[in-house]
Amino acid sequence: MKSSRRMILTLGGGALATLTMTTRIAAAPSETIEMRGTERGERIWFSPRGLVVAPGATIRFVNRDPGNSHTATTYHPAIFDRLRRIPAGAEPWDSDFLLPGDSFEITLMVPGVYDYYCQPHEMVGMAGRIVVGQPDDPGWEGASTDVEDVMPEVLASLPAVEDILRLGRVDPEVDR
Amino acid sequence: MKRLLPLAAATLVASATVSVAHDETALVQSPPGDPYVQVSDVLPLPEFIPGLGTLFVDPATLPAGPFLAYDHDGTLSATIYMTPLEDLQNGTSYDGLGIGSHTVSGVDIYYNAGHPGVEKPHAHVVLFHDDEAKGRLAE
Repeated sequence: MKSSRRMILTLGGGALATLTMTTRIAAAPSETIEMRGTERGERIWFSPRGLVVAPGATIRFVNRDPGNSHTATTYHPAIFDRLRRIPAGAEPWDSDFLLPGDSFEITLMVPGVYDYYCQPHEMVGMAGRIVVGQPDDPGWEGASTDVEDVMPEVLASLPAVEDILRLGRVDPEVDR
Repeated sequence: MKRLLPLAAATLVASATVSVAHDETALVQSPPGDPYVQVSDVLPLPEFIPGLGTLFVDPATLPAGPFLAYDHDGTLSATIYMTPLEDLQNGTSYDGLGIGSHTVSGVDIYYNAGHPGVEKPHAHVVLFHDDEAKGRLAE
């Protein structure tokens, strides 16, 4: 089964604002984040685990793990009542389960730090971090400082914002 | 065909439940019928999982199983158990588990980080039922 889901996040506004954003989205670069796993499922991860993009970039999550399903789910009270780990002005997203080969797209407009996780694999630290824009962008919100709502495995797997900004991307296949 | 079984596997064979162990013919070809359900019909998992095949399980036996693993031709090729490590550490034992076939040619045991249905990190205990079964389930 192949499927593709797309959601465009906006701050709201009227038709003019929507038209403007559509134009920006068309011009904005897109990036792919793969859900990966070893053959027997001993290890699973997002690749890259940390990524920096410009506001308006489209992120495409693709499940490249032939034997497992994964989600890309933001930390937000609206989704499983989790503490928010995305900018206050951003809409949360949940890809739902993606079978091998399935994909899901999201466009990120609000500057700041977005943490997300895989629902069935959060307890083994399958999580990722996207940095949208730069800290001096208007409306920027940095990384959540909460350490109570997430497991230590997740906190350990999230790259530092400074590293993501410095490297552009942090990939476990490369740095482990 | 039969080889010497590891102690754990031999124990599983010896303690197989009556309902599964003594009606092997009903399980040889897919689908095995009630109470088994196809895993991909009830969980977001591929219909054929590389290394495990097409899985059926009695939901009442989760998480351990037995999971009956069929190849692309619908032939029972392995019986698989999934035992969460945390539960084992905390004293849970999985005794008297059923088995799809009394013929076991080899056993693989390995770690799995989790998947829908058995989300805790767990061990896969795979009892192959013939010498070619592993190859047929590979992809």
